[in-house]
Amino acid sequence: MIRNTPRDLLEKGLISEAQFNQIEPIVSGKLVSVFYELRTMLYLGVVLFTGGIGILIYENIGDLGHLISILLLSVITLVCFWYVFTKGFPFSIEKVKPPTPYFDYIVLLGSLLFISVQGYLQFQYGLLEDNLGWSTLISAAFFFYIAYRFNNLGILSLAITALASFWSISVSPQKWYSDNFLETAHLHITAIFFGSILGALAMVLNWKSIKKHFTFTYINFSILIFFVGATAGLFEGNLYLIYLLLIYAGCFFAIYYAKRERSFLFLLYAFVFGYVGTTYLMVDLILDKVPELIFYYAILSCGGFVYFILSYKKFFTRKA
Amino acid sequence: MRSAYNIIWLYNLEVIKETKRWLKARFIEEAQFKTIVEAHPSSFYHPNFIIRIIIFAATLIGLSGVTGLFALIVLDTDQIVISISCILYGIGSFVLVDQIVIKNYKHYKSGLTEALIYHACGFTIGGFAGLIDFSILPLLLFSVLVLSFAAYRYLDLLTTAVAFFTFAYLVFYSFFSLDGVFQQIISFIFILCFSTLYFLSKKIKSKSNFAIWSNNLVIVESLSLLMAYLAGNYLVVRELSVNLMGIVIEGGQDIPFAFLFYGFTVLIPIAYLYFGIKNKDVVLLRVSLLVLACSVFTLKYYDGFDHPEVLLTASGIILLGIGLILFRFLKTIRNGFTREDLISEKWASMDAGAFIISQTLGGNPITVDESFQGGGGNFGGGGSSGSF
Repeated sequence: MIRNTPRDLLEKGLISEAQFNQIEPIVSGKLVSVFYELRTMLYLGVVLFTGGIGILIYENIGDLGHLISILLLSVITLVCFWYVFTKGFPFSIEKVKPPTPYFDYIVLLGSLLFISVQGYLQFQYGLLEDNLGWSTLISAAFFFYIAYRFNNLGILSLAITALASFWSISVSPQKWYSDNFLETAHLHITAIFFGSILGALAMVLNWKSIKKHFTFTYINFSILIFFVGATAGLFEGNLYLIYLLLIYAGCFFAIYYAKRERSFLFLLYAFVFGYVGTTYLMVDLILDKVPELIFYYAILSCGGFVYFILSYKKFFTRKA
Repeated sequence: MRSAYNIIWLYNLEVIKETKRWLKARFIEEAQFKTIVEAHPSSFYHPNFIIRIIIFAATLIGLSGVTGLFALIVLDTDQIVISISCILYGIGSFVLVDQIVIKNYKHYKSGLTEALIYHACGFTIGGFAGLIDFSILPLLLFSVLVLSFAAYRYLDLLTTAVAFFTFAYLVFYSFFSLDGVFQQIISFIFILCFSTLYFLSKKIKSKSNFAIWSNNLVIVESLSLLMAYLAGNYLVVRELSVNLMGIVIEGGQDIPFAFLFYGFTVLIPIAYLYFGIKNKDVVLLRVSLLVLACSVFTLKYYDGFDHPEVLLTASGIILLGIGLILFRFLKTIRNGFTREDLISEKWASMDAGAFIISQTLGGNPITVDESFQGGGGNFGGGGSSGSF
């Protein structure tokens, strides 16, 4: 559809001759970028390699070739880190552009292999044997360091996930062993606290202008963890009004953040969890007694949402 | 009959979207972009992707309410009445989306339009199915017609894909039900049929008066390539022969024309890759990488999966190696290919990339420990989902 657009714009005088010469080969397909294809390839390569090597090590523990493969892995890890430390730019609280297009994947590969090697060493030499949770915490700390040092969003999300699983583990491990998974007691309360604290920290970091482009990832994780925790509490039934209020508080924050950052994803979260919470309340109050009303409730809520979106059109205009 | 949308507005909207990407890639200046936007007015209500999802979901909730009320009215009558009222309800939805939402309110792919269109397709097809007592052939024909209509008139991509698959199933079904020799040659008919469709859609795509359907045609193009490959893939042919046509393969035997299908499995991906590179055809190139992976899987499948971890590690090393070599090789432009990110793809944001990494690799350090502790419970689950 836009194949002739560059020429069209040139003839209308909207772009200059020099710009036309730059843009035209790309739009017409004379110059093709394989940037995303190659990155996908590297990404899949990292996933397959680290996944395969992880199984390989643990299946062959005790074999002769085992020590050699560990040594080999350590060497690859060292090469990766040698590369990123010599090639990488120094730390900055701003966004840092990677020196080469594949730099981020070397960082990813090195970090994942490092975690594999240290996990193996821990197992083999019985370090931290009784406190598996601490191992996760160490991984999280390592990931955070790498994420900030090399400005890597992917590693940051791994760090947050590791940190989250540290908390969910140490809160109620004995419950799992006693086959009482459904009663993972205060897991949702932990989630609510974890989400709020992480979110608050992210906002502070954002306010201090430290790696501002990380804020989105932080808030995304913390708000999801918060909402899931609060919703789980809601469905537990007792004290559900408190959880409902928490959900509404989360919705307000999400809408505030969506408006501030013009990031519509958070509006979607607010919509989904707010609607689930409200529906729970309505079922408890009215719909349980008069089921036919559900249809009218559905129509009404749809109308309400569409009205809300359309009337807030000006607030949420497309990002320029 | 033409598209339901105003073509000039469509073109202007596309120009704005495209030049916005030029702006992001710093090819043009902010002020230039503003004048281009002013010179290309478009009155569509076309919100951003997330808003579209919200509106889509809200519309579905609302429609479920309407449908529930509708069901309460017609449920007590007999099948014919229900079927006819479903068709009328479906057609009514088409009229609503066409005449009111698109014509009066100027919505263009707003979430509201998609929800109404799918809803309309569903009821029209469902009602028709009830009317003909669910006999398959006319139902498939009718579905292809309705879905292609929706794809054509509303430029919808999802109905394009669904219409394509329904069509593929129609071809398969009509030859499969013929018995005898026709069952044997389904593969060849598929290859013939979908390669024709591929060249046809490529030809249509190059014509300027079909430009507004270019995205739909890209879908048809890539799915045709995929279908032509799958019809010749050894694994697919063998498993379908065994499961559907009751061919019994004993030790030492093989399916009819086995050597041909082995040949297809190896040669088609290579041919795709070769022509993709030669003609600088991105669609062909991407499909070729996908089917290459399928071919590796097929060959490994019959070779035996004794050591999946070795396969994983080796293919990881190969992918990493090829990726790094090509990144270095394309530092300078060769044959029109470059490693640089010229105009960023709309969907490729770093934030999304980070999310994917956390979802696919998230449990990694944790699951490794888990496999050791034996029954460590929900570690990996807790870690990998990122949200419990």
